[in-house]
Amino acid sequence: MTHPHPTPPRPSLLRAAAAAASAAAATALAALTLVAATLTLAPPARADVAAALDSHILPGFARFATAAEALATTAAADCRPAALTPAYQAAFDAWMAVGDLRLGPSETGALSVAFWPDPRGATPKTLATLIAAEDPAGRDPAAYADVSIAARGLFALDMLLFDPDFATYAPGSYPCALAATIAADLATQARALSDGWSGPFAATLRSAGEAGNATYLTKAEAQRALYTQILTSLAFTADKRLGLPLGTFDAPRPTRAEARRSARPLPNVVQAAEAAHALATALAGAPLPTADAALARLRDSAARIPDPALQDITDPQARLRVELLQQDLRTLSAAIETDVGSTLGIAPGFNAQDGD
Amino acid sequence: MTTRRRFLAALAATGAATGAMPGLGWAAAGNPAYLAAAQDPGGSFVLVGLDPDGAETFRLALPARGHAGAGHPSRAEAVAFARRPGHYALVLDCATGALRHRLSPPDGRQFNGHGTFTRDGTRLFTSEQDSATSAGIIGIWDVAAGYRRMAEVASGGIGPHDLRLMPDGETLVIANGGIATDPTDRSKLNLATMRPNLSYLTLSGDLTEQVELDPTLWQNSIRHLAIRADGLVAFAMQWEGEADAAPPLLGLHRRGAPPLLAAAPLVDELAMQGYAGSVAFCGTGAEVAITSPRGGRLHRFDASGTFLGATSRADVCGLAPHGAGYLASDGLGGLIALGPEGPGALAHHALAFDNHIVML
Repeated sequence: MTHPHPTPPRPSLLRAAAAAASAAAATALAALTLVAATLTLAPPARADVAAALDSHILPGFARFATAAEALATTAAADCRPAALTPAYQAAFDAWMAVGDLRLGPSETGALSVAFWPDPRGATPKTLATLIAAEDPAGRDPAAYADVSIAARGLFALDMLLFDPDFATYAPGSYPCALAATIAADLATQARALSDGWSGPFAATLRSAGEAGNATYLTKAEAQRALYTQILTSLAFTADKRLGLPLGTFDAPRPTRAEARRSARPLPNVVQAAEAAHALATALAGAPLPTADAALARLRDSAARIPDPALQDITDPQARLRVELLQQDLRTLSAAIETDVGSTLGIAPGFNAQDGD
Repeated sequence: MTTRRRFLAALAATGAATGAMPGLGWAAAGNPAYLAAAQDPGGSFVLVGLDPDGAETFRLALPARGHAGAGHPSRAEAVAFARRPGHYALVLDCATGALRHRLSPPDGRQFNGHGTFTRDGTRLFTSEQDSATSAGIIGIWDVAAGYRRMAEVASGGIGPHDLRLMPDGETLVIANGGIATDPTDRSKLNLATMRPNLSYLTLSGDLTEQVELDPTLWQNSIRHLAIRADGLVAFAMQWEGEADAAPPLLGLHRRGAPPLLAAAPLVDELAMQGYAGSVAFCGTGAEVAITSPRGGRLHRFDASGTFLGATSRADVCGLAPHGAGYLASDGLGGLIALGPEGPGALAHHALAFDNHIVML
């Protein structure tokens, strides 16, 4: 493979005469192009993919795997909702630190852990179908890996453990076994994600720019990949985690809040923002004063919201508090763009942003 | 490797001559294998030629963002199309860098980014639409007469995008995307009622076959095409319906038969974000692939539509056959060769490659 190179003065239609006639003009153009190439393609060495992996991403997946294993162990002993709730909440907390990543093993693996949003209600439908049929897969964690992703992972548990239509099951019943199976399948998924990240994919990120790495052709590309994840997560939190329940002023949709049955909408927003900030800080390898201030304000805004499930947003005053939190997310994103993105010289995807 | 220097010398020799020279063969342009539109680090738009190793053979300035191109079958002459709504197509002499012709759509027409030559190179067909209604039009240009507009025919649908010459050399296949757009910009006007199709036309414009998908997929805009030597047509789609519906984004069609949809597993399909930007058969024709710059993914299928696997690459979009496999380009300047042994970096340029790679 070749390496990025500054572009020599091009024999262009528009500049051909100048390039042929004037060495001085050509030199000036080359210098200008070199500056532009440097800004676009060569961020300073301080952007630290290894630190992002070692201080945030890999410990995060390891903690999630441990928490999911604890949930599975708990469920194997007692699969009733009250018994499972603390371990479920702990596993979801752990997930939020790394759950918005969509790279490497998480590119497809995250969806079967966290199937949301679910506008067509696939999760309750699929669970109801499994329960009505007493599908044997619901008692078999290995077979459960082939069940629809809508019935797997944390959101299947949010439904099964906390929705009144599902959560009244008795010990020894099919739904109780199903809850334990979902927990066991989740633990398997969490271990696979942790192994996939800490093994092959971390190696791919760390070897960016080396021969044989066809995913990241330069170190800058690996930095860009992680940086993009941060902004995408914050946009998802503002647009979906808050935007879906907010709906419009005339038609708020509180039932669309994320994992509302287990009272997680607000914690998920705050934890996602904390995770984005932590990843940005690790990647930058330096304090991010603007982003730090934005995160502090976001925490304050969240602390003023009384209902963690955001079910009160039909009230205009409650809605306003959530809209302020949404604004804080956008401010945090802008702060990270200022503190990190400008340093990295990263622009949005050329093709991804504007298709045809 | 010294193409650029020879190029400069040629420019100095010919000065600003446009269109006066007889056409040179592709060898004079460094035998490029591919054309690609791109943006350089200074923000200017260019058309580049690429050899099979991914090295640049020529670079020509474009006045605005390009989209796709068409290479003349014998002369070192390429037509570079502006992206929609296109107001220019440039006929460039790829050997000398000279602008040979500038094509403008007739009043009330706009170029839609793609075009193709007849096999003998005497005619150019351009994908266009009526600016006011988005009704699809194929413009026909007389190459020997200096790319004179000689006729136009109906494309068979709304908002045509890609078009290709079938291997019989006598049939055009057109991806009528179905989307009506605002005359002045790219705003989409009819997403609730859109109805894309795949249309086959004789070179004189007679509609001989038209394929539509099930009405549940009418919001899946048929936009890009790849043709195998035996006439199998692959079409790539872009979903305009409800988010996260994860519809199939690739179809395969053989004339006279119903279309076959190629779906990936749900988690993979969701990761494509409802968007396929380019489609190509691999070099052997045994497989076909689509790219999603939004998902940063390439999906491979066999010729019967079975999913074979995914390759991740940020902002990947351009796709063409390469050796037995594929060549993929991206907005980060990467050229990735994807062969039976997996992906490998072929070259890396200080360019943001635009949506398509055109194989010459």
